Amino acid sequence: MYVELHSRSAFSFLEGASLPEHLIETCAHLGMPAMTLLDRDGVYGAPRFHMAAKKAGIEAHIGAEITCDFSPQSHRDTEKNGHGSARIDTDQFNKSGINNSESLELCGEFRLPVLVSSRIGYQNLCRLITKTKLRANKGEGAGLEHELQEHAAGLICLTGGDDGPLAMALAEGGIERALYWVTRLTEIFGRENVYVELQRHFHREQEARNRAAIEIARSLRLPLLATNDVSYATAREREICDVFTALRNHCTLAAAGRLLARNSECYLKSPQEMQELFADLPEAIANTSELSSRLEFTLKDLGYQFPKYPVPDGESMMSFLRERTREGFQQRYGRAASDLENRARSQIEKELKLIEKLRLAGYFLIVWDLVRFCREQNILVQGRGSAANSAVCYSLGITAVDPISMELLFERFLSEERGEWPDIDLDLPSGDQRERVIQYLYKRYGERGAAMTANVITYRSRMAGREMGKALGFDPETLDKVSAAVSTWEYRDENETFDHRFRDAGLDLNHPRLRKYFELCVAVQDLPRHLGQHSGGMVICQGQLDSVVPLEPASMPGRVVVQWDKEDCNDLGIIKVDLLGLGMMAAIEDSLQLIRNDYHEEVDLAHLPADDPAVYSTLQKADTIGMFQIESRAQMSCLPRLRPKRFYDIVVQVAIIRPGPIVGQMVNPYLQRRQGREPVSYPHPSLEPVLKRTLGVPLFQEQLLKIAMVAANFSGGQAEELRRAMGFKRSQARMKEIEAKLRAGMEQNGISREGQEQIVLAITSFALYGFPESHAASFALIAYASAYLKCHYLAAFTAALLNNQPMGFYRPATLVKDAQRHGLKVLPIDVMKSEWNCTLELVVGRTSLAVGQDKFALRLGLRYVRGLRQEAAQALARERDRAAFISLGDLAHRVPELRKDELNTLAEIGALNFINSPQTLRASSDTEKNKIISHGFARIRTDQFEKSGINDSVPLCLCGEDKLVLHRRDALWQVERAVRQSGPLLDPLPEPDSKSPLRPMNHEERLIADFRGTGMTVGPHPMAYHRARMDSLGIRKASELSCIANGRGIRIAGCVIARQRPGTAKGFVFLSLEDETGVANAIITPDLFQKNRLLLSSEQFLMIEGILQNQDNVISVKAQNVLALAITHAETSSHDFY
Amino acid sequence: MPFACIFVPNFSVEALLRAEPELRLLAMAVLEGKAPLQKVLAVNERARQAGIETGMAKLQVETCPEIALRACSLLQESAAHAALLDCAQSFSPRVEDAASDTLLLDLAGLEPLLGPVPKIAREIARSASDLGLESNVAVASNPDTALLAARGFSGITVIAEGKEAEQLGSLPVEVMSGNATAGENERDAAQILETLRRWGVRNLRALAALPEIALSERLGQTGVRLQQLARGTVSRNLVPVEPPLIFEEAVELEYPLVLLEPLAFLLGRLLEQLCDRLAARALATQELRLKLELENGYRRDDDDMPLAYEDPRPRTIIFQRTLRLPVPLLDSRTFLKLLQLDLKTHPPGAPIIKIHLAAEPVRPRAAQNGLFLPPSPQPEKLEITLAKIMGIVGEDKVGSLQLLDTHRPEGFCMQRFAPDKPFSPQRHPSATLRASSGTEKNHSHCSAQLSSMSRGEFNADPSADLVTALRIFRPPGRVSVTLRNGVPSFIDCAKHPAARGDVLWAAGPWRSSGDWWEKEGWARDEWDIAVQQNAAIAFYRLVRDLLSGRWFLEGEYD
Repeated sequence: MYVELHSRSAFSFLEGASLPEHLIETCAHLGMPAMTLLDRDGVYGAPRFHMAAKKAGIEAHIGAEITCDFSPQSHRDTEKNGHGSARIDTDQFNKSGINNSESLELCGEFRLPVLVSSRIGYQNLCRLITKTKLRANKGEGAGLEHELQEHAAGLICLTGGDDGPLAMALAEGGIERALYWVTRLTEIFGRENVYVELQRHFHREQEARNRAAIEIARSLRLPLLATNDVSYATAREREICDVFTALRNHCTLAAAGRLLARNSECYLKSPQEMQELFADLPEAIANTSELSSRLEFTLKDLGYQFPKYPVPDGESMMSFLRERTREGFQQRYGRAASDLENRARSQIEKELKLIEKLRLAGYFLIVWDLVRFCREQNILVQGRGSAANSAVCYSLGITAVDPISMELLFERFLSEERGEWPDIDLDLPSGDQRERVIQYLYKRYGERGAAMTANVITYRSRMAGREMGKALGFDPETLDKVSAAVSTWEYRDENETFDHRFRDAGLDLNHPRLRKYFELCVAVQDLPRHLGQHSGGMVICQGQLDSVVPLEPASMPGRVVVQWDKEDCNDLGIIKVDLLGLGMMAAIEDSLQLIRNDYHEEVDLAHLPADDPAVYSTLQKADTIGMFQIESRAQMSCLPRLRPKRFYDIVVQVAIIRPGPIVGQMVNPYLQRRQGREPVSYPHPSLEPVLKRTLGVPLFQEQLLKIAMVAANFSGGQAEELRRAMGFKRSQARMKEIEAKLRAGMEQNGISREGQEQIVLAITSFALYGFPESHAASFALIAYASAYLKCHYLAAFTAALLNNQPMGFYRPATLVKDAQRHGLKVLPIDVMKSEWNCTLELVVGRTSLAVGQDKFALRLGLRYVRGLRQEAAQALARERDRAAFISLGDLAHRVPELRKDELNTLAEIGALNFINSPQTLRASSDTEKNKIISHGFARIRTDQFEKSGINDSVPLCLCGEDKLVLHRRDALWQVERAVRQSGPLLDPLPEPDSKSPLRPMNHEERLIADFRGTGMTVGPHPMAYHRARMDSLGIRKASELSCIANGRGIRIAGCVIARQRPGTAKGFVFLSLEDETGVANAIITPDLFQKNRLLLSSEQFLMIEGILQNQDNVISVKAQNVLALAITHAETSSHDFY
Repeated sequence: MPFACIFVPNFSVEALLRAEPELRLLAMAVLEGKAPLQKVLAVNERARQAGIETGMAKLQVETCPEIALRACSLLQESAAHAALLDCAQSFSPRVEDAASDTLLLDLAGLEPLLGPVPKIAREIARSASDLGLESNVAVASNPDTALLAARGFSGITVIAEGKEAEQLGSLPVEVMSGNATAGENERDAAQILETLRRWGVRNLRALAALPEIALSERLGQTGVRLQQLARGTVSRNLVPVEPPLIFEEAVELEYPLVLLEPLAFLLGRLLEQLCDRLAARALATQELRLKLELENGYRRDDDDMPLAYEDPRPRTIIFQRTLRLPVPLLDSRTFLKLLQLDLKTHPPGAPIIKIHLAAEPVRPRAAQNGLFLPPSPQPEKLEITLAKIMGIVGEDKVGSLQLLDTHRPEGFCMQRFAPDKPFSPQRHPSATLRASSGTEKNHSHCSAQLSSMSRGEFNADPSADLVTALRIFRPPGRVSVTLRNGVPSFIDCAKHPAARGDVLWAAGPWRSSGDWWEKEGWARDEWDIAVQQNAAIAFYRLVRDLLSGRWFLEGEYD
């Protein structure tokens, strides 16, 4: 029987063309009992290969093709680096009379296929790959001879295919050199561990090589081994393989020439085919079975151990954990009601027992240690996900949600039956803070003890479109067009085929090349492209992680990444901690800092008032722009109906607007029941305890699992299978299987047909994505905190949001306008005041504050100046802090880092207007004042300047006599002169008259400049300038809509700030239009969208005629007609979710 | 001293409309790019009204009913430009060729001859219109003002001296973009226009009003120059174009010619005239263009040389041929011989009523062959020989082979044969040898291995044993093959009777395929076979086209 022992998957990036699962599937179809995966320089595809093989009942052997470089140069380099040369003694070879000299060395890199026969072999392979990878740049690195020798134990070596050592030696020096090299391999791996590989792809050259190989094998008495050097499962995939070759070599298919494969023979051949091919060499076939039987190692024998946490003498990890939990318990529950305290105590005891039984104390301590580090460093941290179900996690401070009072299900986090590691995800502020935590882990567990999990970047429509087009030789412009044609709105019409989309883009799919392009785009979907780094998953190992999985450098300096993604790690039982960067955590952290520094107040997130009326009132009004998770249009349209009154309502709110509950038709019943318009009922009385809290409507993942257990008699294992099916790797087929089981179980329990349908719909819909309750609770906490900060510290919160963009649902322009509508004074960018980040300034003269009005104004930061480099901005701020700039020339002279284009942009957005402002004059010395005056700047009245909320509102013609200020064009006029260096000779001369002959910008010009230079305006909304016209057209303001009766025909207009066409909305499009008074929502029917597709997709200002719908204060306009409005040429932008 | 400027807006459209004036009544779009990815380069007014815009894809435009689509034609544009030059030169001897769509004329001294300046301007516009080009004409006291006015104002504009700034004032500053006469670096000018945009300087009046010294401090001399342009105060001399070197002769026949012999006589005369003219200017030619107007029949073109234009007169058929020579020549007899050979292969097919012959002038060849080097054939003779061969085998079958980088067997293209440059010490014979062995390696390598394989041994150095050659049969002969267990066992080739018999030995299949992304994808199996013949064993290469399933005998191994 033949066993394929040399194959690569698509995880040999851009070399193999089939997924490991596809290889296994084909292998099973061909009736092969085992198969080996040898990916290039790694075991990237091994877990998926292993899991698929396990399912198919096939033995999955593991190995890799190692890139090696034995050239004399590499030896010399190694010696120079302090590695002793370990050149082998080729006595046997010398005895044969063949000259052993450097002339027999190979000149370049070759690929050495090695197969793992034992766990030691696997560990050696991982260490070898790690060694080669970590000393080179990403994607490079080659093994050296002494390293191979060092790590040869447990590995079996083949002589390779076209890139193997035998082929290379033959090509470079004929049979003599080849003989020498095979001899060297036997010295390294041992005679019994070297197989001379034969391949037959119907090439003349290959056949010649085979003859040489046979001669060598016979002369050295080595076994022959037939392989097919598989690069794809079926011959059809050769096309993808060719495309990959072209991409790898950065050329087009047409220019790739002989780099492409000669034929399509590298597919997985059946044992019969291989036997026929090697009919003259039956031993080469027989040896495949023999070698397969020698390969004892599989990935189930990984030998992974989680690290032990160091505890003081006399303590065990468990006792140490108990103590830490007890301390935490005192803090968390010490002042709680006795009932709660008792329940918590007994729950914690139960959890600790299980932790002890499962020997997980080390894991909890390590996470506790991480959280402790964060607290010490003032880094916000909060556990999310199923960890929030654990009272131990709550006591240890890992999570912030009390699972006892919220009655969360601990088994969802950890169960004995499941036999799976617990999963603790920590939310951290994105950016530098999270990086500090990651570096702490590296430091604590050593470079080879911790690493990030990988993120396999796979071909999705846009990337596939672009790369396939590149390979076919499309020019860049066409590439843009075709790749746009393959990536689309989230929702697709039934009639919206690729043909239509290509036609819309002006491309004819009947053209053979475009047809081929399309086929390739489809075929390459989901194949891995390269390995990235997961944003936060870290694996930690007892001892050396590099003996469990190879490590390699990530693109980011100082980061090491394992070759598997988090799903693979999970499948193989490797425990991981997810350190997830959350923009909102960073924003909250920054807000707290700003509050501390400017308001001189301390806000403790752990002790926020639980039922702040301002927060709930805001939520009920859906006034939630900028708040975490509850700011989207869909969330806003739900909030007035749900009317949150307590924290648990926010938990529900966070969870309910998800594809799962929406498609499962759970939203409306829940809201109806909540409003008392529908009685609370249950699909079956047995489900009442499960669904009581959510009024009989399942909203959380845990509830679905519990329903399956109660209603359909699912065991814990089956429920777990269901959870996985609902998880990240969603599979239609798996859900179908589960559905059948569900129905059978429910039938057995006598649940009515209607109830069954309801339950099946709910469960299958959850496969689309739904939240676990614990996760929703963790998010709800952050949502509450963000709402609290917005309500009470608007300036700080807005500044923090703006400093952590991009994040959330809205563009900064919308956030600023929303904050202004809430009474926040937003000051423009000013080089005399602005820092890189947005900052707070005390509002001068604001003595009495209106309700909700902030005593601070927000000063926009220089980070919002498009094209301004951070280093230049920081140099500017540094120099300004040293001494105020007295003129624009002074600024240009003292901050040489600023380029002309940067100065121009600063001038254009009005950031230079205040260089000679009254404040500056006040701050300057008399000499400086005289100097300024001698420069002859224009003068204006102070009061006008002070009052102007927007820079440049004071045109030159209005200037008074006592103070100096520029307008934007003044500044632009001066910048041009300032950047033209006059040379040292003219330096002492005073600046000539700088009075600008340019007229000030009008409001339209200012808007254009603001949006081009900063993406926003702090001045009036563009619609405000046209309000009279809008009124004459009968267009209503957004703020007026709440006063208009339901069902009235009206007109609304505004700047489009968001466009959505969700996959769950049956083709409806949702638009948010912003005017100076607020945001109005419009609903576009699929028909209207089709008629006005271009207009709706690209126009920035729209007028919409339609019927006002006001249901429970959820206001929207159902559009009947759409028109583009000419409001401004400013480049406003919207957040589009296609 | 008045100057005029002729400016043809939307030049690429106008150039095409000149050849097909009937399209003026239709919506028309000019396309650029290669199929299937053509896009709109320019449109006429009607097309614009129909919603067609530049940059649209051809497929999108085709949805508009009754739109005429034409490919952008550089030839038409250059013909239109030449016509525009003719028009300008028919008014003034001093014409500056400012751009393909813009010409400047010095009108000094024309008033007594042609009437007042406005009349001249109207005449120029009418004359351009007669040539099929709708243009703007502006007259001013200096060339640059005329140019800006022609670009900015449609129709006829006459700017009185001293009124330049006033009249130009309303024009947008963008009219100065790409102003070749400004003489500044294009990038500088573009940057300045961007600065002006930022300053809110929208029109020439605003630019003219800026203080000059302050402007020069900011925008340098380029800015000052642009301001002077805006004020209409730039004074400069025209840079008149040299009359183009056109060597063209033509003869109109009293009665149509139907035989080649009298045609050759006339051609000989024309060629002599042309060669005399070229010689007088110390020039030679590398390209001869023969254009024959035929009485009736069908149109014939060069395969690679589309017609510059189609004569709009009815019933006139143009036949044209172009001879491109590898080196500059000036020998009327050689030219005549080459033309005769060419016409023999490509007869006009109809009676000839008019002959045009044009020569593209180039500098003559100046070469001195080495005294001790072997003589190479004279280019003139070589060219005639090649032309004779082409006449027999076809044009695309003569030249030197260039191997393509592909697995496709015999993947090559033909390059026009050109004699080597004079021999230099750097190009030693061994160098040539190395180069050629490099290209042959792929073919010979297999054969070498085949021979060694047949001996059952592996050769240590394949390149040292290049002895087996494959003689390719062209075209390969169809062969019927009997297979046994999938291996050829008997062959019978009608075209090569010797290749018939039992297959004694077969190696293969050697499988290859490629170009799957093209229409011309291919896949084939090769077999190396030994066939018993009367006295000896012959080795052949047998090929099976896997797409058609046919067998061929491709060649014989020595």
